[in-house]
Amino acid sequence: MIAQQIINAVSLGGVYALLALGLAIVFSIVGLINFAHGELMTLSGYALLACLVFGLPFPLAVLVAVSCGALAAVAMERVAFRPMRGASVTSLLLTSFAVSSLLKVVFQNGISARPQAVAMPGWMTGAFSFGDFTIGVGPSISIVVSALALIALELFLRRTVTGTAMRAAAEDFNVVRLMGIPASRIIATAFLLSGLLAGLAAMLWVAQRASVDPLMGFTPVLKAFIAAVVGGLGSLPGAVAGGFLLGIIEVLLQATLPGAVAPYRDAIVLSGVIAVLLIRPQGLIPAVRAQRS
Amino acid sequence: MPTLYRLHRAALYAAVFGIAAVSTASAEEIIIGAATAQTGGLAPYDQPALAGLRMALDELNAKGGLAGKYTVKLVIKDTRSDTAQTATVAQELIDAGAKIMITPCDADPSISVGQLTQPLGIPTLTLCGSAPVLTAAVGDVMFGTYPADNVQATAVADFAIAEGKKKVFLLTSPDSTYTANLPEYFGKVFEKKSGAIAGRGTYTMGQPDFSAEITNIKGLADQPDLIMTAAYEPDFPAFIQQLRGAGVTIPVYGADAIGTPTVKGLGKLVDGVVYTAAGYAEPGSKLEAFNAAFTKYAGHAPESTYEVNGYEIGLILDQAVKTAGSDDPKAIRDAIAGLKDFDGITGKITYAGTDRMPLRPVALMRYEGGEGKYIQTMIPDAADVPAP
Repeated sequence: MIAQQIINAVSLGGVYALLALGLAIVFSIVGLINFAHGELMTLSGYALLACLVFGLPFPLAVLVAVSCGALAAVAMERVAFRPMRGASVTSLLLTSFAVSSLLKVVFQNGISARPQAVAMPGWMTGAFSFGDFTIGVGPSISIVVSALALIALELFLRRTVTGTAMRAAAEDFNVVRLMGIPASRIIATAFLLSGLLAGLAAMLWVAQRASVDPLMGFTPVLKAFIAAVVGGLGSLPGAVAGGFLLGIIEVLLQATLPGAVAPYRDAIVLSGVIAVLLIRPQGLIPAVRAQRS
Repeated sequence: MPTLYRLHRAALYAAVFGIAAVSTASAEEIIIGAATAQTGGLAPYDQPALAGLRMALDELNAKGGLAGKYTVKLVIKDTRSDTAQTATVAQELIDAGAKIMITPCDADPSISVGQLTQPLGIPTLTLCGSAPVLTAAVGDVMFGTYPADNVQATAVADFAIAEGKKKVFLLTSPDSTYTANLPEYFGKVFEKKSGAIAGRGTYTMGQPDFSAEITNIKGLADQPDLIMTAAYEPDFPAFIQQLRGAGVTIPVYGADAIGTPTVKGLGKLVDGVVYTAAGYAEPGSKLEAFNAAFTKYAGHAPESTYEVNGYEIGLILDQAVKTAGSDDPKAIRDAIAGLKDFDGITGKITYAGTDRMPLRPVALMRYEGGEGKYIQTMIPDAADVPAP
């Protein structure tokens, strides 16, 4: 049973890590906490639903849905954030809230206020026995996809020119621009990556929740924000560490808290977050250089 | 600053239209205020119910209005599923002259409205809020309309006992009256009728992950043969997806809030899930005729029994105004409270002798192959129904 709970924790932590990374990538480059990140997930979720309704095969539907998330992120940058470039942190933050609220209302009025069921293929609700305990296919996919995405991102950032430029931009944007690398490209790439991560996270989220609704982006973006702050805002390894830590704490508390205390679970988790920040105000793995736009 | 100027202008327009929307009623008009959720988590419940009410009022207006002489003006304001916002719009509706108030499908916002309407004596009806504590929490102006949680829970428990279920696991959430209490009412009846509670678990509404709770269920030494929960969307789909995904095949029963197209759309995942409804459209029944009429009215079939429940609210109000013989809120309130064996669409509705949660039949339904199949309709024995 303990092994089972560890799998649960890693599976949830992986999704949180993907989400937090999506926030952290954009923050590290433009200093914006994109609270509309959750709506990118919602959009990917609806895209998946639409693809399945139109009878696309499941793998293709997932591919289209994730691409939708990525493209929407780039479009969001172009429409909402590019005109605000150079604005204060507060203005950027408010813009992201505005985008988030706007999209929520569009989803509610344009699609439906009611959650839409997404029929996941039968094999995803299966489980396989492994010695003494059973592992669900869903959590296994979660773990594998999160791990692959983290490795792929790391390779991209380490082995490609754009990746290197992005890491450099996170440390000192102006120097990178002096090197002749266009700022717009770096920023667009950051949003593209964050959209991809949001799309992937949305697939894992929907696979576990079996429905998409207009407000589904709220909880994940909140969790991602907490994870990113705990990890160290703007630090990519920090975001991953924060995501896993949050996932593990949540599952362990849920598993072990006695019934009478269980309703205080979220309060306890957040107290833990405060405790971490009191000891390490810059987060678990602080960013090399705090970036402000 | 053109942007700022535009904002000002927008605010001005909003103010003008806002005033226009709440202009006062003429002599033979009666204003019904609907503080309901058009957006947010309650919208999927409030909207169908409101559509049913609207249909009833349109039909009544075509015949001259409530009791044939008071043309109804329905003023609808969005609560955004937020309790504080609900109170704000309720106050606006009261200021606009509402003599009857309609509130969302949940106890908490309904109580916040009731606190405003109670001192003024304005009869207040919740669309489909079903928590039996709701009416007592407010006072004599507050009426439930849907079968109460304790009545629904008793019906499901009676059915589970009759099926031979012995041990139940109760999954609750302290986040709403409905999700916290309904499974506990079930537990009370179930224990009284020689069933046992094998365990309890809780969740937070909107919680992404149920794996820890599910692992706890799997780890119970004394395995339950039933899981009872009042979780609804999007939590219910998440819970059952993850439960089945973890290889747990224990049946899950719930109540009215999972009788929705979303849950039905889950297909094979929800096979065997038992839930409740306010009625069942047997061939030749009044409900079947209503469903056909509603489809014609709205352009789509009713999603659930919330539509017919909303429609019946219109009928109840019509009857109450007839009995009262006036549009005086206090007289209307007294008339609703005295309603006995009123012939609704789903069956007989009685308020007389209750604490303003109606006595009315409960239909038991079960999902099979992506369809809601009818099991039976019952009015649980009043002696079995646990106190709120």
